[in-house]
Formats: sequence, C-alpha cells, structure tokens
Amino acid sequence: MNKQFWPKSNADVCIRCAACMAVCPVSRVTPLFPGPKQAGPGAQRFRKPGDPSVDEWIDLCIGCHLCDTVCSAGVNISELNLIAKAKYLDEKGRPLRDWLLTHSHLFSGLASFFSAITNLLLKNRAVKWMADAFLSIDRRRELPAYQSPTFRQWFRGHHSTGEKKVAYFYGCYINTNEVDIGKATVQVLEANNFEVILPPQECCGLPMLGNGDFKGARKMGLKNVPSLLQTIRSGLDIIFSSTSCGHMIKHEYSRLLAIPGAEEVAPHLFDLFEYLRNLKEAGNLNARFRELPLRAAYFAPCHLRSLGIGFPALEILRLIPGLQIDNIEADCCGLGGTFGFKKEKFEISAEIGKDLKNAIDRLSPDIILTDCEGCRMQIRHLTGLRVLHPIQILRDALS
Amino acid sequence: MHYDLIIIGMGLSGLMAAKTAAEASRKVLIIGKGMGCLTLFSNTIDVLGKIPETTRLRDGLSQWIQDHPEHPYSKVGLTGIEEGLSSFTSLFHPPYSFQTIGDGNCFIPTGAGTMRPAYLIPDTMVAGASGKEKKGLIVGFKGFRDFYAGYVAGLLNWRGIFLPLPETPGQEISATALSRWMEKEPFRKTIGQEIKKNLSGETCVGFPAILGMNDPIKVKMDLEEKIGVGVFEIPTLPPSIPGMRIFNRFKEWLIRRGVNFLSGYSISKASLKGKRCEGVYIHHPPVSGFYSADRFILATGRFIGGGLMADRERISDPIFNLPVSQPGSQEEWFGKSFFDEHPIHRSGILTDPSFRPIDGTGEPILENVRVAGTILSGHDSMDEKSREGIEIATGYWAAQWAVAK
Repeated sequence: MNKQFWPKSNADVCIRCAACMAVCPVSRVTPLFPGPKQAGPGAQRFRKPGDPSVDEWIDLCIGCHLCDTVCSAGVNISELNLIAKAKYLDEKGRPLRDWLLTHSHLFSGLASFFSAITNLLLKNRAVKWMADAFLSIDRRRELPAYQSPTFRQWFRGHHSTGEKKVAYFYGCYINTNEVDIGKATVQVLEANNFEVILPPQECCGLPMLGNGDFKGARKMGLKNVPSLLQTIRSGLDIIFSSTSCGHMIKHEYSRLLAIPGAEEVAPHLFDLFEYLRNLKEAGNLNARFRELPLRAAYFAPCHLRSLGIGFPALEILRLIPGLQIDNIEADCCGLGGTFGFKKEKFEISAEIGKDLKNAIDRLSPDIILTDCEGCRMQIRHLTGLRVLHPIQILRDALS
Repeated sequence: MHYDLIIIGMGLSGLMAAKTAAEASRKVLIIGKGMGCLTLFSNTIDVLGKIPETTRLRDGLSQWIQDHPEHPYSKVGLTGIEEGLSSFTSLFHPPYSFQTIGDGNCFIPTGAGTMRPAYLIPDTMVAGASGKEKKGLIVGFKGFRDFYAGYVAGLLNWRGIFLPLPETPGQEISATALSRWMEKEPFRKTIGQEIKKNLSGETCVGFPAILGMNDPIKVKMDLEEKIGVGVFEIPTLPPSIPGMRIFNRFKEWLIRRGVNFLSGYSISKASLKGKRCEGVYIHHPPVSGFYSADRFILATGRFIGGGLMADRERISDPIFNLPVSQPGSQEEWFGKSFFDEHPIHRSGILTDPSFRPIDGTGEPILENVRVAGTILSGHDSMDEKSREGIEIATGYWAAQWAVAK
C-alpha cells in the first residue's frame, strides 16, 4: 500500500471534550467500539508507522463523519479512523466478501442485462443462505434488485434538449438499480431548460475507500477525473444526485487520495438540490409545481451533512404546495454502505437503524425521501415504507 | 447564498439568536465549527449562582447590575434577562421542561459529589434539588467510568451502589449507550428490582444524567413506579445527555422553521467593506463557499469553542480580529492557585449597549455585526456561575437588535 497519499494527522489538537462521543452512532449501540475519541485521536497518539496495528475494533467505525461535524477543535476524526482501518486491514488481509461488495460495478452490467434471473437469484433463500454461510453477507439483508434497461441505455434513446448544458454524474446504483432517479433528474433539469450530458464515468470508488482500500479507490478516481476535467474545462457544471458519490469526488478525491485535477473539478461539482437552490436564488428555478397532497418525511444522509451545504432538498421540497414535509430527527441510518451487509456488523447496523425507525414512527409519514441509496435501502428494510429520492417527488410535482 | 442574518457559533447563545431571528421571520443561517459546547456542561440554566443562598434571584440580579455596569447583564437589564429566559423555556414544553425551585437558586448534587447552585433545572433533576436535607441512594453502573456512585455518595453522606450491565461484562460503556439502555423497559425492570432491594430508608434515588435521550420523563416516571421513591439525574462528565437534549430540541425547531443549519465548518475569512461585513467564507477543502448576509452575530464562545485564541503574548478573535479586552501581559493571565480567580477568564470583546463591537474610544467597529454569548467581555461566568444566563440573554437580545429595523 502506497502511504504517500495519506494526510497528516492532527490528533494533538483534540481537547478530549467528548462532543464526538455524543453523536457517534456506533458507540451508542455497542461497547465493542470505543468511540471516536478513543479510536481516533486517542489511539492515534500510540500508533507508530512501523508497528503492527492492534486496532481490532477500528473496522467498526461506520464512516458517517458525524464526529467531524461536531468537533470544535477541527480534528478529522473519521479520517484518522479510516487510515487506521486501512493499515489494520492491509496487514490482516481482506476477505473475498469485501472484494465482492466493493467491486459490484464490475458485474452490475451483466446483472442488469440478466436482471430477471439475477433478481430471482438475489431473492432466493438458498442463495442468500450460501452468501451468508460462505461469504458472511448477512442473509437478513435484502440484496438490491437490478433493472433493465439501465439508465445509460435509457438515456441513449433519449433526446435531451435545453438552452443551457449541464453534466450529470449518476453513479452505479442509479444506473443499474434505481433508474427512475436518473430519469427524474434528467426530466427536472430539462424542465429548467438544461440539456443533460453524461460524461464517461465509472464507480466513484467510495465502497473501496470505506473499506480502507485506498489503492482501489484511487484507481477509480484516476479513471474518473480526466473525463470530469474535460467536462468542466468545456464550461459545464457537473451535478450528482447521490450525496455519497458526490462527497467522494468533491472532497475525498483531492484531500485523501491526492488525485491530480480533482481540485480543479471540485468547485464545478454540485449536489442536485444545491444546484436547484442556486437556480432558485438567481430567480431561475422552474417552480410551477402542482399540488401534491402527501405526508412526507425527509432524512438527511451523513454524506450530505459532510458536504456542508445544509439541507437544500428540504428547502426546495417546501415549495411544493400540499406537500407536508417533516425532517426526520435522527443521525445515521446505520447501513454505512457495505457495513450493514456484513454478517459480523449486521446487528450493529440494525440497532443504529432502530433509532431512525423510532424517529420515523413518531412522524408516521406516507413516504420517505432521502438523497442516498444506502439510506434508502436501510429505510426500506426498516420500515417497509415507500422510499424515494426527493427528485422523484419534485418531478411528480412538475409534471 | 444570501441571508438576512448569519449567526456564527452553534452554542446556546447562537441557538438562542437563531430562534429569536426565526421568530421574526428572517432568513437565517447558523454556522458552527462544531456543535458548540452544550454537551460539555451540566446544562442546568445558571443565571447567577454566586449570590448568597437565600437571596431572591431578581434581587441578586438587580444588585449585580448596579454593581457591574460593564457586565453583559447590565446591557440587557433585569427585564431583558427575564424575557430571554422565558423565550428559552417556551421551547421546552412538558413533559421535559425547565423550572425554578422557589424564587432563587436551588442546590443540586453533581458528579463530583458537591452541591452546586442552579436557577432553572430540567424536570429530571428536581427530585434531587436541595438534596442535603434528604436521604438518597446514588446508583452507578459498572463499566460507566464517567460517574462514581461511591464518590458522589460519600461526599453527600449518602449511600452508593454499582449495578452491573447486561451483555457488557468487563467492557466500558459510553453515556449515549447507557442512555439508550435506559430507554428499554426490560432493562429498567431489572435495575428497578435491584435498586428496590437495595433501598434502606432512602427517600430518593440519584442516577447519572443518562435517563434517556428522547423521553427522559417517561424513563424517570417508570423507574419511580418500579422503585417506589423519587428518581433524579445528577449532571456528570461530558458528553452531557441533558446538553444533547437541549441541542436536539433547538435543532429540530430551527430546521422546521427553515433555518439553514451548517455544522462542522469554520469561517476561514470574513469579507469586510468599510464598517460592514459583507459575507463569510467557509473553507471545506478543496472548495471555499461564500455566504453573504445583511447582518451577522458572532457567538463563538471563548477558548473551548474556539471563539478566542491565545498565543504566547495576546488573545485574539480569529474571525473579525476585533479588539479583545484582556490582561496587560501574559504574566497576569492566571491567579496563583487553581481555584483562584483567573483574569484571563474576563477577556472578551467590548461592545456598545446593543452588542456592536467597539474600539477603545467607544465607536462601533462593524455596524452590522453584533456579539453574543460568553465571548463578550466584562464577565467571569465560571466564577459567577452565570454561563447559560449570559448565553440566553445576550443571544436573545443580539438577535432582537439585529432584526430591528
């Protein structure tokens, strides 16, 4: 593992105030993880580059970044955890399971093409039992179904028109598993007079980074950035509809992975609703919404919080007449990307999710809206309710 | 993005300012480098703990205002303080509300085994108030190292017991995890039975302040039913669960009112033009965001929250570089012993009566910026036991003046 890209540690500015301990979703539900204060800056003071890692619990950090957002001293706690996790797993070795979970982009095309068969297999009890027994992918977790045609295939047959142009980074999950979100994004942008362009793109690499695989994540970044650079140099902004992919490209590519050109891309990269909010500020948002009598609850994903843009989807959704929209008062859904699929972490993921479920039950909404695919999976799993991306509701209100 | 008002700082004063401005229907952004310091303190509302035990708070405050013309309280006046406090309490509806005991300070036990004065206390602490005259049992938990029942009980001349936690033998448990356990009825049943067996004439039972995050009154009442005597919370080491409850309540209310909430990002630069602030930059590598507003409130606290920075020679404000009233030299910062008064704890920003920062001649430096909370000069809230009172009253009034035409 090439460590030259790891950022400098700033553990010594920690004043031990424990604000991070007030928000950590993992140490709230299990004593197995000592919490961000100990695992991050606390343990960092004892870590020496040459010594073998002894951080047996470090893999339990779910990577939500909530600790970073509450620290008044400015310690990047989750970053310290991630680097320690990478070292621990580099030394200990990663199971095949982790490789499969973080490389789904390699076989998602095929899975989507044969979606009728794939989906049957993914739901099949025997298959799930085997995945559980041989791969430690928990059988209580629903595996996401594949769709055909993919978003990219749909877009090929779609003629996008508009006076202005904007590029769209849709991400793997929307391409093969939630195609309608991609369609809704394109339709809303077109309703705002944008022609949508899809720059060539691959998986952003977040699943690998979350599993401490810096090398794999960097490889994906090196594939994506040249195409994104070309896009912004031709004068286009790039929009993302998945807050996780967006946070990865906008912030982790340059800071954590030192990918050349990423810094130039970042200022032109926008969260979809941040972009719509900017249009609204400039008086250019198409807000001719029809009435939508629905009781919806919105959940702000962790990676949206770490983007530092507030809750722009809430601001835009509040413009829709008839739509009653409440913010769900809970932090972290507990899925943590691939975290919640792992057998040894399923219980922790489910316990964190229970707190979110209780917050949802207090609101008793008809429908849940959230910007992140992981959160949507988890909330469906927890509540059985209809869970959408906010752009789908916005599209419905526009049509 | 342009706002009517940007509040810098997410502690109690910033949150109060945001609430006040939102009530006046202003478009508000609140920015915090972290989540403020509510989780670091005991979260009783201390207004002026320093006054003699039997003095009515109103009388104590009147006298204090007369004697300390430069104190933040003197800028808002007695009725101004009361108005701020009632705005705060209006946010906390029963069952989890704040109340006074009589018309002065009450005394509550602490995790250090002392009795401390407080003015407004949450309902969960009421049964322990003025506990010296009572006979109580203190309950701690094995593995929860932020609260030593024996120590607290010893100093109060009460009795303390330690209960084991299920499923966590030999492991440490965090305050949030313990607070989550408390929300589970089967757990309360187990410990309730255990405690009831252990009672010998005690008329109340004190727990560390971990009686649940969302519905502490339900937890408290259920425990009371199971144990048969009054139950109360004792503030202990951070992270403070009662502090989270206050923070969460503000956050929920503010987001519902459309206040934009940005936590985790510090201001890298303020953009000034003449005597006005035009906007602030938030650096989030590798991008910088610019937020403009008509008015600003600086509520960044003192040293812990990062509102004031000290190098070897002087103390400064890192955002606007406003003049900071401070001891003449570094040798004068600290008193001789730990419990002495330390002059450094009086340093802060000088303002006019409406909290605009002023220079040495009393002239406002920035016309559209106001300052609130503990970063203000003229107080030593630690010694006065006035932290929350100052935060609430000045946060409320800085926003009132900022939104006034």
